[in-house]
Amino acid sequence: MNVWLVTASVLLVAGFVPVVWGVATGPLGRGVAAQNLGTSVVCLAILLLSQGYDRPSYVDVALVVAVLGPVGTLVYARLLADELQDDPPHTRLFTVSVVCVTVPVVVALCLAGGPGRAAAKLVLVGVLLVVGNVIASRALTGGFSRSEVTR
Amino acid sequence: MSRRLRLWILTVGGLGFALLFTAACLRLPDFGGNSHPYGDRAVGAALAHHTANVVSAVNFDQRAFDTLGEETILFAAVLGTVVLLRQTPDERQVRPTPAQISVPIRRYALTMLPVTLLVGLYVVVHGQLSPGGGFQGGVVAATALHLLYIGADYRALERIRPVGLYEVGDAVGEGVYLVLGIAGLLGGSAFLANTLIPYGTFNTLASGGFVPLLNAAVGMEVACAVVVLLAGFLDQAVEIEKEAGT
Amino acid sequence: MTDVLVLISLLLVAGSATAVVAVRDPARQALVLAVLGLTLTVLFTVLQAPDVALSQLAVGSALTPLLILLSVRKVRRPGRCEGGDR
Repeated sequence: MNVWLVTASVLLVAGFVPVVWGVATGPLGRGVAAQNLGTSVVCLAILLLSQGYDRPSYVDVALVVAVLGPVGTLVYARLLADELQDDPPHTRLFTVSVVCVTVPVVVALCLAGGPGRAAAKLVLVGVLLVVGNVIASRALTGGFSRSEVTR
Repeated sequence: MSRRLRLWILTVGGLGFALLFTAACLRLPDFGGNSHPYGDRAVGAALAHHTANVVSAVNFDQRAFDTLGEETILFAAVLGTVVLLRQTPDERQVRPTPAQISVPIRRYALTMLPVTLLVGLYVVVHGQLSPGGGFQGGVVAATALHLLYIGADYRALERIRPVGLYEVGDAVGEGVYLVLGIAGLLGGSAFLANTLIPYGTFNTLASGGFVPLLNAAVGMEVACAVVVLLAGFLDQAVEIEKEAGT
Repeated sequence: MTDVLVLISLLLVAGSATAVVAVRDPARQALVLAVLGLTLTVLFTVLQAPDVALSQLAVGSALTPLLILLSVRKVRRPGRCEGGDR
C-alpha cells in the first residue's frame, strides 16, 4: 500500500462522499454541480490508482473520464436548463478546488513517471479535465439561457 | 390476503434468506488466491497468439462466438427501437427551434468533438494492446458526434448524421464479423478461428491475428448502432409530436 | 492493505445504489445513475478490471442520462406551445 494508493483513498473519501450526498439530497442545481465534481474526483483517483498499481494502461480510463464526464454534465445543463435557471448552482468553490487539486497531482505523477510520452499523456488528461470542469460549470450557471421559443 | 399477512410473509422470507445467505457467504473461498487454472490457460493462449490484452483475446479470439451473440443482441435491440420509435401516421414532424448557447460552450463542444472522436478511435484501434476495444471505443465515438446536439444545434447534428447511412454501417459491421468468421471456416479450421493471418510482433498495433479486425468490425457496428438509437430518441423528443386533435 | 480501497469503493457503490432507489423524480434519478456509474468505474478499476470500467463509463456517463432525459422530456411535453416550453 504505497503513498499513491493512500492518496487515492483519501481523495475518494473526502471528495466522493459529499458528491453522493449532494446528488441524492437537496435542490437539483446542487446535484448537477456534485456530478460535475464527481467526474473530476474519479479522474484524479484513477490517475493515482494507475501509478499506485504500476499499470500505465489505466491512464486510458482516466482519459475517457476526462473526455466523457463533461459531456454528461453538459447533457444535464442542456436538457434541464429550465429548472436550473430558476435556481442556479454555486459551482465556483468546486471548480477552484478541482484546479487546486489537479495541478499538484498531475505534476507529482509526471515527476514520478519521468519525462516522455507517458508524462505528455498525463498532462493532456489534466488539461482536458480542468477545461471540461470549467466549461461544464459555466454551462450550469447560465450557459444555456432560456429564450422565448427554445428546444 | 391482508396487508399485515403479506408483511409477515415478507419478514419471514427475508429473515430466512438472510440467514441462508450469510451462512453461504461464510463458506466462500478467500478473496484472491494462488490457484487460477482458468486464468493460466487463458493467459497462455493469449500470449501464444501474441495478443497483449488478454481480455480482448478472450473476447475476440477464444470466445469470439459469444461476442458475436452480444453484438447481435445490440443489433436486434436497436432494430426494435427503430421500429418502436418510428414516426406513425398520426404524428407530424415540426422544426426544432434552436437554443441559445453561450459562445464558450459552443466552442468547447466544437473543439471536443474531434478530440473525443479521436479518443474513441484510439480505444478501438488499441483494443489488443491496452484496456478498451471495439465496444467501448464505439460508444465513445458515437457520444462524440452528439456533442453537436448538446453544444450546438439539433439541425447541425442532423446534417452530419444521415441516419440511413448509419443504419447501413451498423449492418455492415455485423456482416463483416460474420464474414471473418466464415473466412476461418473456409480457411480449413473452425468458425471464427484465429489461424488465417500471421500473429505479428507482440505489443504492436499489428498483432493478435484476427483480434484487431474483429475489434474494428465491432467498433463500427456499435458506433453506428448507438447513433441510430439516439436518432430515434432525439427525433421523438425534439421533432415529432402528435397531430393536434388526436 | 488494498482491501481498504476495495472496501471504500464497495461502500460508495452501496451508497449510490441506495440513493438511486430512494430518489423518485426521473430527472434526478438520471443524475444519481450517472454518479452510480462513476462509483462502479472506480470499483472495477480497483478490482483490476479496466476493460469493464471503460464499458461502464462509456455507457453510463453520457448515453444513459441522455436516453432517460429525452424520454422524460417526450412524456412531459404536452405539445408545442407558444410560450416556448422546452
